[in-house]
Amino acid sequence: MDSKLTFRGRVWCLGDNIDTDQILPGYAMAYPQAQLKCYALAGSAIPDFAQRVKAGDIIVAGNNFGAGSSREQAPVALKEAGVGAVIAQSFARIFRRNSINIGLPIMCADIIGKVKDGDEIILDLAAGEVSLADKIVIKGQRPGDNVLTILEAGGLIPKVRQQMQQAREE
Amino acid sequence: MNEIEKYLARAAGRENVRVGQDITINIDLAVAHDVTAPMAISQFEKIGVNRVFNQKKVMFVFDHVFPAPTIPARHNHRQIMEFADKYKVRCFGKGEGVIHQIVAEEGGLSRGSMLIGADSHTCTAGAYGVLAFGVGSTELAAAMATGTLDIEVPPVQLIRLEGETSPGVYAKDIILHLIGKFGTDGFTDQGIIFAGSWVTSADIEEKMTISNMAIEMGAMLSYFSESEEVGPVSKTQRIEVNTLVPVMACPHSPGNVKPIADVLNMPINQVVIGSCTNGRISDMRVAAEVFSKGNVHPKVTCIALPASNKVAQIMESEGLTRIMREAGVTVMNSGCGPCYGGHMGIVTADDVVVATTNRNFPGRMGAKEANIYLASPRAAAEAAVCGKIVLPGTAVPLGGE
Repeated sequence: MDSKLTFRGRVWCLGDNIDTDQILPGYAMAYPQAQLKCYALAGSAIPDFAQRVKAGDIIVAGNNFGAGSSREQAPVALKEAGVGAVIAQSFARIFRRNSINIGLPIMCADIIGKVKDGDEIILDLAAGEVSLADKIVIKGQRPGDNVLTILEAGGLIPKVRQQMQQAREE
Repeated sequence: MNEIEKYLARAAGRENVRVGQDITINIDLAVAHDVTAPMAISQFEKIGVNRVFNQKKVMFVFDHVFPAPTIPARHNHRQIMEFADKYKVRCFGKGEGVIHQIVAEEGGLSRGSMLIGADSHTCTAGAYGVLAFGVGSTELAAAMATGTLDIEVPPVQLIRLEGETSPGVYAKDIILHLIGKFGTDGFTDQGIIFAGSWVTSADIEEKMTISNMAIEMGAMLSYFSESEEVGPVSKTQRIEVNTLVPVMACPHSPGNVKPIADVLNMPINQVVIGSCTNGRISDMRVAAEVFSKGNVHPKVTCIALPASNKVAQIMESEGLTRIMREAGVTVMNSGCGPCYGGHMGIVTADDVVVATTNRNFPGRMGAKEANIYLASPRAAAEAAVCGKIVLPGTAVPLGGE
């Protein structure tokens, strides 16, 4: 088991269509990056999430998580607040790419309804699996190798940095 | 190959592409605005290059928080201006308009060009045949350095819009109908080609309204064709637009679309006419037609924001600004304004809003309990006059425009 791509954490359950206005409200978009974590999920059904989240916690949601705006402040706020990973039935495209690009692990898996708030689960991205509290293992959509490489590097920028360096040397 | 694949292949320097293939495309323009550019700039500076890939192909626009309503917003503006100065790239920093309108007016793009923008409504440019990718700040930063974007070739569906709309039914009603029909994730990771007889006769502003909201169905790309033969697609949807009625997207999702007839007489107290969806001159003409014959209801705050200064100038020269102001409309500077809840029209929990904008998620314009209805400029203007939701033609008879 590759520990860099394995994440253990407590579950927070959310529903379908959690849009980026719920994840990080528009008014907070222009705030300094260091403050974004205070507004994580401020527009959602758990507005006090930022005060209650613990490092490594895992968000579990339904369909179309991250719908709407391209604001990268949304996944940044989650990551900075301590969220270890997001598992949803499906993601909106731009949110999914933003999360990978900033190094917030995400995976599509159908586990909503099979877990409750506070359950401890393990996400194994390299295997594309989620282990639930009672030793049940749920198969999800394993991310492609290119995505895993970006996540292992900590985001897109380290990869591009290396790529540009190589181009200069050639 | 279909039209989208043909242009992607060209941008990737390949003979052909197939669905699902990972490709790297060369981009013709990379843009960001005043709430996505600052993060893109700090990410760009971590890459360790001393120039952008092409000074003429990077551009910034101040629209979301201009003029700055807060000190952090002003810091953002200063940071972007310094970067633009240092790297010699264009910066529209005088409130020229909303980024997607400025890209249309000043971007210099043509059919088949590749655009990436750090804003989800970048897809607006699909109206004039540009392949426009909405991305986040980090992906934009990478593109500013490399001049390229990595994508997977998407499956493409064709939406044929056929026939003519009835009076009181506008491009906004067409796109809201589509979002209601297909859902807010109906086209996630897919491309859409729009064609058909309605498209052939539509003007560019109508197409921009529809293309703008393709992201509200999750689409990766939206592309308006000029030809009848668009090439092979995964699926074809056919919509007879003469069957459509005036609609609104009801709280709290752009996908919660109902005929206006089902929400009649709902009292409202704020109206917003503008945005990258419906802030162009044809939209303002439709609204001003209503305000030339009726004043804003005493209990309603009505805000109009032109999508750009060019739109504002035409409004002035046609006398529309005066008509609106005399009717009690607050005509503001061009920009995003209250559309995303940043400033200039924030609402409380018990406010009910009719807006020509693109999203009505909880909290989009302020308090998360506020009810926001998305509608055409005509329906919004009539609601402003009547103080409640009405069918187009109620406040002022249709047909005068």
